[in-house]
Amino acid sequence: MGLLQGATELFPVSSLGHAVILPALLHWSYRQSDPSFVPFLTLLHLGTAGALLVLYWRDWAGIIRGFFRAALRGRIAAPEERLSMLLLVATVPAGAVGLLLEAPLKQLFATPRAAAAFLVVNGLILLGAEVLRRRSERSGVSRQEQEEQFKVAEQISFRAAAITGAAQALALLPGISRSGVTMTGGLLAGLRHQEAARFSFLLATPVITGAGVLEVPQLFHSAAPLGLYATAAVVAGVAAYLSARFLIRYFRSGRLDPYGWYCLAAGILALLLLR
Amino acid sequence: MLALVALAVVFAVLAVLYLLAVINFFSTTTGSPHVKHAAVLGVLAIACLVGASFLRPRVSSSLN
Repeated sequence: MGLLQGATELFPVSSLGHAVILPALLHWSYRQSDPSFVPFLTLLHLGTAGALLVLYWRDWAGIIRGFFRAALRGRIAAPEERLSMLLLVATVPAGAVGLLLEAPLKQLFATPRAAAAFLVVNGLILLGAEVLRRRSERSGVSRQEQEEQFKVAEQISFRAAAITGAAQALALLPGISRSGVTMTGGLLAGLRHQEAARFSFLLATPVITGAGVLEVPQLFHSAAPLGLYATAAVVAGVAAYLSARFLIRYFRSGRLDPYGWYCLAAGILALLLLR
Repeated sequence: MLALVALAVVFAVLAVLYLLAVINFFSTTTGSPHVKHAAVLGVLAIACLVGASFLRPRVSSSLN
């Protein structure tokens, strides 16, 4: 589970959806309605958040410094200060909506068919994002030149950041990928693919860390095998680190299409098998 | 600006009330501290204070 979650968390294919669907398909003896299931998944997410912090520690040092400088000065004077405020604006809606919808959405965790259906929706979102993106790209130039006409994360508008952050709340639905919807939001806001991935990873870190810190204590009140769970979290972190390195490289010229087609096919297949 | 400061105070007070389990709106349990609600309201309070800081009147630093 740790390897699966870590490897798929940052790919725009919904790790949560996979974590709900695969045990049902493979008849793994894990009860998804068990009270420790969500905290266990959150612990795996913490492994991923740790990997992202390691990967982007320079960015985060600048973002944290920039946040306090800009907040105290009341004015943005540097790119990292702007990025810190963009992340704040994008994180608040996801937190607020997540809080309000947490209870009903937890019910959905126990339904693999719902996760499979949302995986199909996720595929359509990714494919739709690329269709819209192609319309605004120059033709007759190389992929690198096409990408260079778009922005870096620090340049997007606060409105676009807020919409991207709000879209992140959709990822509370198992089957809808957090990185998928935030990358889609980034692409629609005019970011380069690689920058959309970077913004998505930076955006994921505080939400995943916050959710983890708040959910994990529930594990200590259950009879869960904590050593095993912690090992799974470390495995998830290593897999997430390698995945992030791969994705950053891939999105220099790559697109979301392969992931979109994969989600569409996997979702339909799961719906057929889970009948 | 003052409205944002007032909103920040409201969010901060609500966060404390959730922590003390005095209120339990939008939560599934009663009688226990709602840490997540308090955390989100705390973040909202900080966001409001940051917004207020950005809107505060500027004092010119020029001596001319």
